[in-house]
Amino acid sequence: MMSATASHGGVMMLPSPSGALQHQRPPTVTGSDMFRVRRKEPRGLRLVVAATAKYKGTKMREEKLSEMIEEKVKEATEVCEADVRSEECKVAWDEVEEVSQARADLRIKLKFLNQDPLESFCQENPETDECRIYED
Amino acid sequence: MAVSTIYSTRALNSTHFLTSSPSSSTSKQVFFYRRHQSQTNRRFNTIITCAAQQTVVIGLAADSGCGKSTFMRRLTSVFGGAAEPPKGGNPDSNTLISDMTTVICLDDYHSLDRTGRKEKGVTALDPRANDFDLMYEQVKALKSSIAVEKPIYNHVTGLLDAPELIQPPKILVIEGLHPMFDERVRELLDFSIYLDISNEVKFAWKIQRDMAERGHSLESIKASIEARKPDFDAFIDPQKQYADAVIEVLPTQLIPDDNEGKVLRVRLIMKEGVKYFSPVYLFDEGSTISWIPCGRKLTCSYPGIKLNYEPDTYFDHEVSVLEMDGQFDRLDELIYVESHLSNLSSKFYGEVTQQMLKHADFPGSNNGTGLFQTIVGLKIRDLYEQLIANKATAPAEIAKA
Repeated sequence: MMSATASHGGVMMLPSPSGALQHQRPPTVTGSDMFRVRRKEPRGLRLVVAATAKYKGTKMREEKLSEMIEEKVKEATEVCEADVRSEECKVAWDEVEEVSQARADLRIKLKFLNQDPLESFCQENPETDECRIYED
Repeated sequence: MAVSTIYSTRALNSTHFLTSSPSSSTSKQVFFYRRHQSQTNRRFNTIITCAAQQTVVIGLAADSGCGKSTFMRRLTSVFGGAAEPPKGGNPDSNTLISDMTTVICLDDYHSLDRTGRKEKGVTALDPRANDFDLMYEQVKALKSSIAVEKPIYNHVTGLLDAPELIQPPKILVIEGLHPMFDERVRELLDFSIYLDISNEVKFAWKIQRDMAERGHSLESIKASIEARKPDFDAFIDPQKQYADAVIEVLPTQLIPDDNEGKVLRVRLIMKEGVKYFSPVYLFDEGSTISWIPCGRKLTCSYPGIKLNYEPDTYFDHEVSVLEMDGQFDRLDELIYVESHLSNLSSKFYGEVTQQMLKHADFPGSNNGTGLFQTIVGLKIRDLYEQLIANKATAPAEIAKA
C-alpha cells in the first residue's frame, strides 16, 4: 500500500502488489516526450491525426451548427434589447449555449476521439448522399 | 456477474420450478431444481437461485452538455475499452457504450424540445423542461437489469427523436444537468460527482470554445453566461450539496492577476463516511498539509505546482479536500506527486500517471482537472469492485435436513 512521506524527496520505490513497476505505456512515444512536445507547441496545434469530418453528412452538420450559432446570437441580441431579464431573453441565450456546445462536441469528437458520428451509419449505408467521403 | 443464494429443502422426487421468490432480491431470478446425484446419506437437495447483476449507477453533474467526452473517456478508460456511440443507431445519439459502462445523457429526458421550451419560456436548466418521472423509472429499471427504450434528444435539430434500446450495463453513468435534482433518482445513485466550474474559469473556457465561431464575440459569450446564471444558480448549483465528490475548478493563486484561465487551481472535495469510498489523502488522513514538490530534487518551470490537503466542512458534511494548483510539465513531476498521495485505489505503482498519459492530448492532462478526474475514475472502479464483492458474499443458507 502506498504511504506518503513528505520528508523524502524524489521518486520512491514503493512496495506495489506486483513488486515491480509495470511498463504499460504506449510503445512509440514516451510520456515525457508527450509533455515536452505539448509545452513547445504553439497554442492551437494538436498532436492528433484527423481533425476534420470524414463524411459529407458530418461536414454538413458542422456547417449547419455554425450557421445556427450565428442566427441565434443575432436573435438573442435582438430579443434582449427589449428586456434583458425577460424569459424570452433567457431562453434565447440558452439556445445559443445549446448550439454552441453541440458544435464544440462535434469538434471534440472529431479532434480528440477521431470518431465521425456517421461512422457506423455509413458502414451500413455507404450509398447515401450523407455518406459520401468529404474531400476538402 | 451472478450472485447466488443457496437454499435447501427437503428431498423432492421430481423436478419442478418454484414460483416464490426470496424477498430480498429485486433482480431477475432463475430457479432450477437439481436432484442430488451421489449416493450419500444427505437427504437434502439444493436449489440455486441466481440474481442477475445489479447495475452500479454513477451520477455526474455539470453544465457543459453531454460532450464531457474527455471526462467520460478518462472514467471509462480506467475500466478498459473505448466508449463509443451505439453502433447502427441514430447518429445524433448522446449515449456512449463500452464493455463495462454505458453513459446516458440526461438531456434525453427533456419533456420539452427546443420549440416547446421557447413557447413555455423555460430554459433547459429549468426542471419544468425535464421528465423526472421517466428518468426515475428508467434508471430504476436499468439498475434492476431491465433494458429500456430511452428517448433521444437531438441537439442538432432540437427535437426528440425515436427512442433507442439501452441494455443494462455493469456500470451506468448518468450525466447532465440534473442527476441529483430528483430525490428518487438520488437514492438510486451509488456515487455522485459534481463538476463545479467557477465563473472566471467558465468564462475563459467558453471563450476558448466559442471565439473561433463566426457568430460569437466576447459580448455574446458573456451575455449567454449571464442570462443562464439565474436558472443555473436556482436549479443546478444546489445539487452540489448531495455529491459524494465535488471537483471545483478555480483560477490559479500562483500567478497574480491571471485571467487567462490556463493555469488552474483544482480542488477535490470528498465526502467522509460514504460507503465503499475512502478519500485520497496527502501525508496523513485528517491532518492539514501544504506541499510544494518543486525544489532541489525536482525542478519545475513557472508557475510550478502546489498541493494542499485538509479536513473541512461542506454544506454541513465532513469532507477532506485535496487541492492542486499549477501545472505538470514533465512526466517525472506527475509520478513524483502520485507517489506521495495515499489511498488512490490504484492497482499498481504509477497507474494514475499511466492513465494520464493515455490521454495526454486531452484538455486538463497537465493539471488538477485531469489528475482528479483520473483519481475519481479509480475510486469508482474500487467502489464497483467492493459492491460486487459484497453482493457475492450474500448470506448463503444451507440447512442440512
